Amino acid sequence: MGTPAGNGQAAQEDRWIPSACTICYGGCSILAHRVNGTLVKIEGNPASPVGNGRICAKGLSGIMILYDPNRVNYPLRRTNPRKGIGIDPGWKRITWEEALEEIQVRMEKLRAEDPRQLMIQVTTTLAPSSLLFFTFGWAFGTPNMWVAGGGIHCGNGAHAVGGIMHASWSLVPDFKHCTYALYFGASKGHGAGHAATPNMEQAADARARGMRMVVVDPICNFAASKANEWVPIRVGTDAAMALAMVNCLLNELGIWDADYLKTKTNGPYLVRPDGTHARDPESGKPLVWDAATGAARAYDDPAAKDPALLGTYEVAGEACRPAFELLKEHVKRYAPERAERITGVQAATIRRLAREFGEAARVGSTIVLDGVRLPYRPAAAIYFRGAQGHKNSSHICFAIDLLNQVVGAADVVGGALGFNPVCHGHPETGRPRYVPRAERDGLMTPGTWMLPHLPYPPAEPRHPDSMGFIELFPLSHVSPLMASADQEQWWQRFELPYRPKMLLNYGANSLMSVGNKDTVAETLGRFDFVVSFDLFLNEFSDFADIILPDASYLEVLDPRPNFPFIFNHPAGPGTWGWPIRQPVVPLTHERRSAREVLLGLAYRMGLGPEMNMALNVFYGLDGPQMLDPKKAYTFEEVADRELQHKFGPTHDLAWFKEHGVITWPKTMEEVYWRPFVDVRVPIYWEFMLGLGEKIRRIAASRGMTFDPAYYSPLPEWLPCPSHEVEDAAYDLYAFYYRDVLHTNGFTMENPWLDEASRMDPYSYRIALNTETARRRGIRDGDTVWVESATGRRVSGRVKLTEGIHPEGVGIAACAGHWSRHQPVARGKGVFFNELLEVDYEHTNPVNLNLDLCAKVRVVP
Amino acid sequence: MRYGMVIDLKRCFGCYGCQVSCKAEHATPPGVFFARVVKRETGTYPNVRKVYLPMLCMHCEIPPCEAVCPTGATVKRPDGIVDIDRELCVGCRYCMQACPYEARYFNDRARWYFGAQGPTEYEALGYAQHPVGVVMKCNFCAHRLEHGQLPSCVVTCPTKARTFGDLDDPQSEVSRLIKERCGEPLHPELGTGPSVYFLPA
Repeated sequence: MGTPAGNGQAAQEDRWIPSACTICYGGCSILAHRVNGTLVKIEGNPASPVGNGRICAKGLSGIMILYDPNRVNYPLRRTNPRKGIGIDPGWKRITWEEALEEIQVRMEKLRAEDPRQLMIQVTTTLAPSSLLFFTFGWAFGTPNMWVAGGGIHCGNGAHAVGGIMHASWSLVPDFKHCTYALYFGASKGHGAGHAATPNMEQAADARARGMRMVVVDPICNFAASKANEWVPIRVGTDAAMALAMVNCLLNELGIWDADYLKTKTNGPYLVRPDGTHARDPESGKPLVWDAATGAARAYDDPAAKDPALLGTYEVAGEACRPAFELLKEHVKRYAPERAERITGVQAATIRRLAREFGEAARVGSTIVLDGVRLPYRPAAAIYFRGAQGHKNSSHICFAIDLLNQVVGAADVVGGALGFNPVCHGHPETGRPRYVPRAERDGLMTPGTWMLPHLPYPPAEPRHPDSMGFIELFPLSHVSPLMASADQEQWWQRFELPYRPKMLLNYGANSLMSVGNKDTVAETLGRFDFVVSFDLFLNEFSDFADIILPDASYLEVLDPRPNFPFIFNHPAGPGTWGWPIRQPVVPLTHERRSAREVLLGLAYRMGLGPEMNMALNVFYGLDGPQMLDPKKAYTFEEVADRELQHKFGPTHDLAWFKEHGVITWPKTMEEVYWRPFVDVRVPIYWEFMLGLGEKIRRIAASRGMTFDPAYYSPLPEWLPCPSHEVEDAAYDLYAFYYRDVLHTNGFTMENPWLDEASRMDPYSYRIALNTETARRRGIRDGDTVWVESATGRRVSGRVKLTEGIHPEGVGIAACAGHWSRHQPVARGKGVFFNELLEVDYEHTNPVNLNLDLCAKVRVVP
Repeated sequence: MRYGMVIDLKRCFGCYGCQVSCKAEHATPPGVFFARVVKRETGTYPNVRKVYLPMLCMHCEIPPCEAVCPTGATVKRPDGIVDIDRELCVGCRYCMQACPYEARYFNDRARWYFGAQGPTEYEALGYAQHPVGVVMKCNFCAHRLEHGQLPSCVVTCPTKARTFGDLDDPQSEVSRLIKERCGEPLHPELGTGPSVYFLPA
């Protein structure tokens, strides 16, 4: 605020403290203005590239989270043994010692029996720092950890395909050089969380520069409203449109980047009639057909000067064809006319967009940047939550990314960029350093990843012994079976040798963030004991036994709020920045930082060696900074070692507390790395055949349905359960979208954001097409029920709009809270997730993404 | 010298950053917005456009609010800022009737964001600058300008849609943008001579 010393007296203290926002996982760099001990303003930190001094409405509103009188101030224990939705736990204040003592006793007993009985639950809102909780899980010995609602909603498909094709978590157009950006259900640069504010600035720059932007989406909101063209599409059908566009490029327009496909993809790898690669009998390497010498050679044989992309060649008595030729044949099944029937997008529009995209890519062109000649493909197709959040998640993302791959617009100037998959490190230390590398069959694996198991090559599927069956589905990150209606059925069939007994929760409100509340409530009821670190009591708290009052992001230290850089550091040319998060005000009441508590708990339980080694792995600590297994550390000491490890002894925690961020320039070789790194990406996922067969054998033996269509080497459009509802009364597709004002359900309690949401025409309303509503006699402002074909329903007020597909029902964010402990959030907006089924039937069997659309009817 | 602002509607996508930034800077009570965002929709499906219009005091050259102020509380400063002297304002609210841009708010009673739970530490401090019974509005963050800082909404805007400067200086960035991008004030026909210009989307 401008004149904080309202009483006219001079301020005793007036400081701007550099730190990092954590109201969404973008983690933008901030400066917090503290006057006489009170936080009076948050602004962006101009010294950091993670925001360049800019900050969004959410980030500005952190003051109202910090000072919310509804925060939890003391450890609480339930007195009412009955747990259930809306049943008052009868909270009683206890001491920290009482709380920790009980948790310790229970955990030690649990660990002695079987550590896998502990489940750890975190939230995307606090990612990536919440991953520190996973180190506790590693130390404890449980594989049962998840990001409740994250992954299964926003990214199992997007991130796995991002990893396989771009060595990164997410994609953006190269805002600096792209001239044609095609968004499928994405809002990058218009409110999306990854690198949120830097992308907003870059997207605005691109708009001003004249980048043409086409947004394929059922709803015309933030991204589509700023686009040159909005292409309304039937919910969940993006793959059909993308495949039809690839068809147009390859079979109608004859546009593809042969050089790129030959050298940077497996396009020339020969495929046998059974779909597997023809391989060199000795090395096992995939073969290509060298047109120059008329012979089959290993893909990396220097003698293979001109690998064929098209044709049929006899190898070992079999007619083999290059993978690219198979792709070209495959997409012929997606004529624009067929895609029109599936998507509702006119065939002529699909053809036009394919031509525009193909021409914009300028295949064969180069550009000189910083004296280096680089491939120039200024066209990009990106996807995110909207497109990928369906049962066909894996194929959808693959299909959309093929647009980039066939024209060579992947991680080159102007094209689709993964977020920072190459980093050569700070000039003084060379750290952090990571580069994608070639793995099995010369295909790429990321140089850094969010989680221990890499997307490629997929791990060997095996009989699961974790709650979510991740071992059986190695291309998944997070599993809905952690809170699904059918979890017990699957655990029985697969003879899971234990049951989860204790849940350690960090800030997640899984009762609302996963799917319908009744299903999740049933799974939460299975735990004997639930401990939750949280800022507020909420709907989830009704199932907790002990609540621990957490510190807010303005009261804690974190040495890496933006690492790994593939997660939320801005992509494209510019500057690297490694900021820290630090307390801007001291803790009050009996709140404590969950990180400190967790570390203390580990030491208290005698898990010091395991915890320290897990921290060494998580932070990549080695050499003098490696934690000694025999010693106990404070979190400050761990943070200090992490920073010195990355940036040298002169850049220790004290240095970072003063300066807030360290920066160094990005090089062209890092940003546009594709020509400089000898890796290929698969346009034909041969590995899916073997992977699928292995999964089928394990799954089928336990009565788990396995549809091989999801494991085909080339993408298909496969319907969601919502597309197969036959009852004509259910005639609309409900979906949710990200509101620029909100992060998950967390921000609903913030009164500044609530106030803006109440002023916004859409935030708290159900968006319905005007004509669709007119036919049903529904008027603007009416209260209606949205009822799913599976018998679930939510109510809310209608906002009539021309900006939504006639078959769409659009609902923002994760709203509709009912907890009395969050009076600002209570009763605001619509609880979309109530419409979602959570079971294997509604899950992508490749990456375990949940299907996030529901066939519904809207009734008064 | 005439302070003015240019808002590029091509860059703005309605994120509410300006609205909340202003709230944080001025500690305005619930329901008071020196800066706000108005959203409208035009066209028919599928040729629909959303209009995001950031609003604030237009700091008019001929401020209708000043003309009707009976106590001289509302003044047009030499630098172009239209400001209110809290000591002189008697809360008659004629100015609110006169302002065609609905930029003014009346602080009728003490109120805070968590209602009966009382003011937060931040509000207790910040609301002291807003006496009850007077009219309040945007003053282009005059207190920041004094310290060489740009208005809060300008520095926060994630899309850099806002440019601030001297409209009297033909070389200034604001003057250049208005000229090159055909900037227009809102409702120029009212003849108040606003100092806030909008560039077309």
